[in-house]
Amino acid sequence: MIAERFEDEEKWLAEGIAGIQHNAFFMHRALDEDNLRDALKYSAQMLSELRTSRLSPHKYYELYMRAFDELRRLEIFFKDERRHGVAIADLYELVQHAGNILPRLYLLCTVGSAYLRSKDAPVRDVLKDLVEMCRAVQHPIRGLFLRSYLSQVSKDKLPDIGHEHEEGESKDVMVAVEFVLQNFTEMNKLWVRLQLQHQGPSRIREKREKERNELRDLVGKNLHVLSQIEGVNLEMYKDIVLPSVLEQVVNCNDELAQFYLMECIIQVFPDEYHLQTLETLLGACPQLQPTVDIKTVLSQLMDRLSNYAASNTEVLPEFLQVEAFAKLSTAIGRVIEAQADMPIVGAIALHVSLLTFTLRVHPDRFDYVDQVLGSCVKKLSGKPKLDDSRATKQVVALLSAPLDKYNDIVTALTLSNYPRVMDHLDHETNKVMAMVIIQSIMKNNTCISTADKVEVLFELIKGLIVDLDGTIVDEVDEEDFNEEQNSVARLIHMLHNDEPEEMFKIICTVKKHIMSGGPRRLPFTVPSLIFSALRLIRQLHGQDGDIVGEEVPTTPKKIFQLLNEIIEPLSSVSSPELALRLYLQCAEAANDCDLEPVAYEFFTQAFVLYEEEIADSKAQVTAIHLIIGSLQRMNVFGVENRDTLTHKATGYSAKLLKKPDQCRAVYACSHLFWVDDQDGIKDGERVLLCLKRALRIANAAQQMANVARGSSGPVTLFVEILNKYIYYFEKGNPQITSATIQGLIELITTEMQSDSASALPASDAFFTSTLRYIQFQKQKGGILGEKYDPIKVQIPA
Amino acid sequence: MASRRRMLLKVIILGDSGVGKTSLMNQYVNRKFSNQYKATIGADFLTKEVQFEDRLFTLQIWDTAGQERFQSLGVAFYRGADCCVLVYDVNVMKSFDNLNHWREEFLIQASPSDPENFPFVVLGNKIDVDGGNSRVVSEKKAKAWCASKGNIPYFETSAKEGFNVEDAFQCIAKNALKNEPEEEMYLPDTIEVGGGGRQQRSTGCEC
Repeated sequence: MIAERFEDEEKWLAEGIAGIQHNAFFMHRALDEDNLRDALKYSAQMLSELRTSRLSPHKYYELYMRAFDELRRLEIFFKDERRHGVAIADLYELVQHAGNILPRLYLLCTVGSAYLRSKDAPVRDVLKDLVEMCRAVQHPIRGLFLRSYLSQVSKDKLPDIGHEHEEGESKDVMVAVEFVLQNFTEMNKLWVRLQLQHQGPSRIREKREKERNELRDLVGKNLHVLSQIEGVNLEMYKDIVLPSVLEQVVNCNDELAQFYLMECIIQVFPDEYHLQTLETLLGACPQLQPTVDIKTVLSQLMDRLSNYAASNTEVLPEFLQVEAFAKLSTAIGRVIEAQADMPIVGAIALHVSLLTFTLRVHPDRFDYVDQVLGSCVKKLSGKPKLDDSRATKQVVALLSAPLDKYNDIVTALTLSNYPRVMDHLDHETNKVMAMVIIQSIMKNNTCISTADKVEVLFELIKGLIVDLDGTIVDEVDEEDFNEEQNSVARLIHMLHNDEPEEMFKIICTVKKHIMSGGPRRLPFTVPSLIFSALRLIRQLHGQDGDIVGEEVPTTPKKIFQLLNEIIEPLSSVSSPELALRLYLQCAEAANDCDLEPVAYEFFTQAFVLYEEEIADSKAQVTAIHLIIGSLQRMNVFGVENRDTLTHKATGYSAKLLKKPDQCRAVYACSHLFWVDDQDGIKDGERVLLCLKRALRIANAAQQMANVARGSSGPVTLFVEILNKYIYYFEKGNPQITSATIQGLIELITTEMQSDSASALPASDAFFTSTLRYIQFQKQKGGILGEKYDPIKVQIPA
Repeated sequence: MASRRRMLLKVIILGDSGVGKTSLMNQYVNRKFSNQYKATIGADFLTKEVQFEDRLFTLQIWDTAGQERFQSLGVAFYRGADCCVLVYDVNVMKSFDNLNHWREEFLIQASPSDPENFPFVVLGNKIDVDGGNSRVVSEKKAKAWCASKGNIPYFETSAKEGFNVEDAFQCIAKNALKNEPEEEMYLPDTIEVGGGGRQQRSTGCEC
């Protein structure tokens, strides 16, 4: 049915246009002949096409524009008295003989335009007459377009300052203002009346309401005209224009009109006028219909004003002088109160706008920011946590705004209402917000430097730190969770103070919070805290000399105790490997601090973990190598402790599940007895014992491979051991002689020949390279070359 | 007959919100300027008489709303335009980027018979701001764009200081005049000697 109507409309429009063209043709001919009588006759017939009631506003506008263009030519004709020989005043009377009212009034306005220009009659009288005469058309659409025509043809002839007129200037301006205001009021009434005519099924009503909305600019245009009158100064705007317009807006009781006209007022009048009349403008807001989207209106006002403040710093005193913030804040409160049905999202959005406003206009006023947040808390309190996603989005915007503005979380941490707003977020949004906070810290490289601030911060981001009530673990996306926890881990490194005392407090605070994180979070967060604490230990150790003994409350020892407490829970939450690594790190740090018992304790913990918690053979291999590596670097141990630990390490090495793993761990143990430092341990005999043991294991591995697979395994292990021999040979271990090396080379050569089929190219290449190295050293000469001299090598082709 | 029609030249000014369309028109027609931003609602025109090649023309300059929400009735007023002026703010990149959009929008809505040769003029406004230090669109870039769209004449203007405004509108008028009349010539089927005109369709009421 609607499509049908659309087609009909096209037809009607085409007919209308044809009618206009037809009559315009004769009108032009009459104009060419300076024939006034015919010109009036055909123009009236042409304008009769505008009497239609069948077109929607859009189509009617098209038709109107056709007639409008033709009327411009008529106007030029009217202006030229020589052509038609009738005085303009008489012409004004003459056109009123047209039969139909609508064409008559269009013609009257057209002559009126020429009349106004000629100034043959007082402008005031002509304007008054025109605007009164137009009352005769009460059909909304026709009336609106007619009055819009009146507005259009009169606007450049309105009395204004700077124009020459017989009367006093401001009095002139008043004539113009009263004329436009009257036209505006009449048009708004016509426009609102259109709504009352709309009845019938809701589908039709909706379409009609949409069409009505299309007419809005005809009404709003009057406000634009008012804004263009130069004589409308602040005083006149304040005393006459704004109150009159607002009176019409409030009294029309129409949602569509109220929203649109408020928007217009804000957009068409200049910033400084708004600033100076804030109270009046805002005072109208609570009086509007409860369905009016007042938050958009106010946001636009605040947007405009903050742009104004941003464009020119000199206007800032004006904002303070008129107490713009206080007025806006009060107005928002009143609107929320007045519109009881406003959804919570609307109330929060209003606060976001106000916050944006104050951040832009008064960036130094933290109290304003806190006030806005506080007012939001008030609105949220006593209600269940937000679950409307649009509302939570607004809260995130509210809380993000200060972060974006100040690029500094520390500022936000001083806002007492900040955490109180966060308390009203549901768990998911709380996490989102916590991530926003962390990202802000990262982006700006903000250092949080006191334990108190850290406390507040962790309170804010607690959604990431602990399981809050009601979270179901299964629902958490693994990837998201990891990302969140990695962020927390990174955050911990941003908590720093060069003062050891304060830093220690920070560490304790962080510990308190993260230790309640549960098994899934600890593996992410603990390492960060450990390294942060180790950094403090190194710092303390570095300045050891300057600090006098017992007075110092923060000692490495104390921190190590703390570290022990932090790592321990890890082993019980199925991250024993991580715990082991951290113990070893701590042991090394204790070593650097010359704390033998502490280091020993950490090693003990590591071994206990190895024995009791690490069962996987691959994990064991990794763990034992880590232990060997760390132990090798230790120099704090006395002989007894050292022997105990190295004994354990070699013992476990030889007990690994796979022979090759055993072999490699055992030859690695050789380094425990030979530390290539000036005063490192150098026990050549025990080195040799390790290497020989490794050789035996390699042999056994070879034999087992023979039995199991019918061929011996690769010689890689032997070549690896050979390289160890060469290392110690060069380092001057007296137990390793050129003869030992020669023997091993031959052994490998034999092995390879006996089972060439199974030789892997890789181990072949490895062996060849090793031989080449020896060859190279021999040729290079020098002390090392001489040492190598007795060894004979034959590099395979 | 054509000469009479050509007495009126219709010019449409388009461009983003806040680039200074109303200010340019006011500067040209009234020699006035206000620093205050006042949004335009709908479309309306000012006229100015211009002398050109010993003839007097009426320039009908249509100022439009840059904000879409204030253009609720559509753009039927584009019809019959003789020249389209595209304005951007040399200090706002987006307003320059949008020139393309405005040009295309105009060509679609006004659908001139020869879109390739329809006269446009581009104005880069607000060159006075901050002594030119805040400008982001170079003259070169603007000229390149104009060249790529069929050598559109380009002017750098300051509505505030009145710089180049007169020259720009001279060019606009000249180009508008060059534009061939679009209007389909209407010829009635029969010329009624009696002059009774067409039968009026009744609308059922006398208003």
